[in-house]
Amino acid sequence: MCDNTSAINLTKNQIQHSRTKHIEIRHHFIRDHVNNGDCEVKFIETKLQLADIFTKPLPKERFFFLRNELGILDSQNFF
Amino acid sequence: MIDKTLFIKKSNSEIILVQIYVDDIIFDATQDSLCKEFVAAMKDEFEMSMMGELSFFLGLQVKQTKDEIFLCQSKYCKEILKKFEMEKCNEASTHMPSSCYMDADAARKGIDQTKYRGLIDSLLYLTTSRPDIMFAICLCARYQANPKESHFKAAKKILKYLKGTTNVGLWYPSHSSIHLISYSDSDFAGYKLDRKSTGGTCHLLGSSLISRHSKKQSCVALSTAEVEYIVVVSCCAQILWLK
Repeated sequence: MCDNTSAINLTKNQIQHSRTKHIEIRHHFIRDHVNNGDCEVKFIETKLQLADIFTKPLPKERFFFLRNELGILDSQNFF
Repeated sequence: MIDKTLFIKKSNSEIILVQIYVDDIIFDATQDSLCKEFVAAMKDEFEMSMMGELSFFLGLQVKQTKDEIFLCQSKYCKEILKKFEMEKCNEASTHMPSSCYMDADAARKGIDQTKYRGLIDSLLYLTTSRPDIMFAICLCARYQANPKESHFKAAKKILKYLKGTTNVGLWYPSHSSIHLISYSDSDFAGYKLDRKSTGGTCHLLGSSLISRHSKKQSCVALSTAEVEYIVVVSCCAQILWLK
């Protein structure tokens, strides 16, 4: 799941664009695997992007929402 | 194999897993007879005692019930708070403010490096059961070479957050699907010193978190699409390994 459509499109087609031609070859290995069907890249809206918590400081409500979604819970809730 | 102390034995469709750490061993199998066989074989060779169901391993507390497994490090968390004399501090609701701005802070006087590193190191081990504080710790860890008062303050804020959430841990329900879903995300040029971006991925099997990472990228990117693309690639590499 990725929340950037341009990045998803990059994994799907081989077209070189003037703005992407500097990206190193080693980063393009995903295209091969997407082609073979090893994995599939889909779009997810930013609101439901669970990996958000690992990349930037977040406001309180959003932080707690993501924490619960990831299964990080308080033991008092069920023991 | 990435972990050299994890042993797997497969016979027909049954599997036994054995994890060894110095003199502690944990093991489980899909069938009871395999477990008994293993215990008998080990008792022949070594002197050992059975501790029964797993409840404590390397500072990790494990609670098992029929429907779920719960991992937490509340004892370890309390130890850290004691070690850094923060037992009586006020609780904070989050681990870092959303408008957090951190830089090298070169003008200020430095603080004791050993203490700062000790704190970061202790906190890093805590991320085993607390991935929620991972980003904050990684951010603090970047300033280990030349820590200043402001960095120590940020690290203390994490401790304050931990004070209020010592019992929080990872929860694994037993009845969840086995669909592997991975999420990848990144910020854009979030690190103030070299303008590199931080990427984060997490992998969920059903609803249990099985793998995650948060890492500053090694190259400077020109666009958000490029940043996200690089994270997706590292996410893909992890998926291939998990498979």
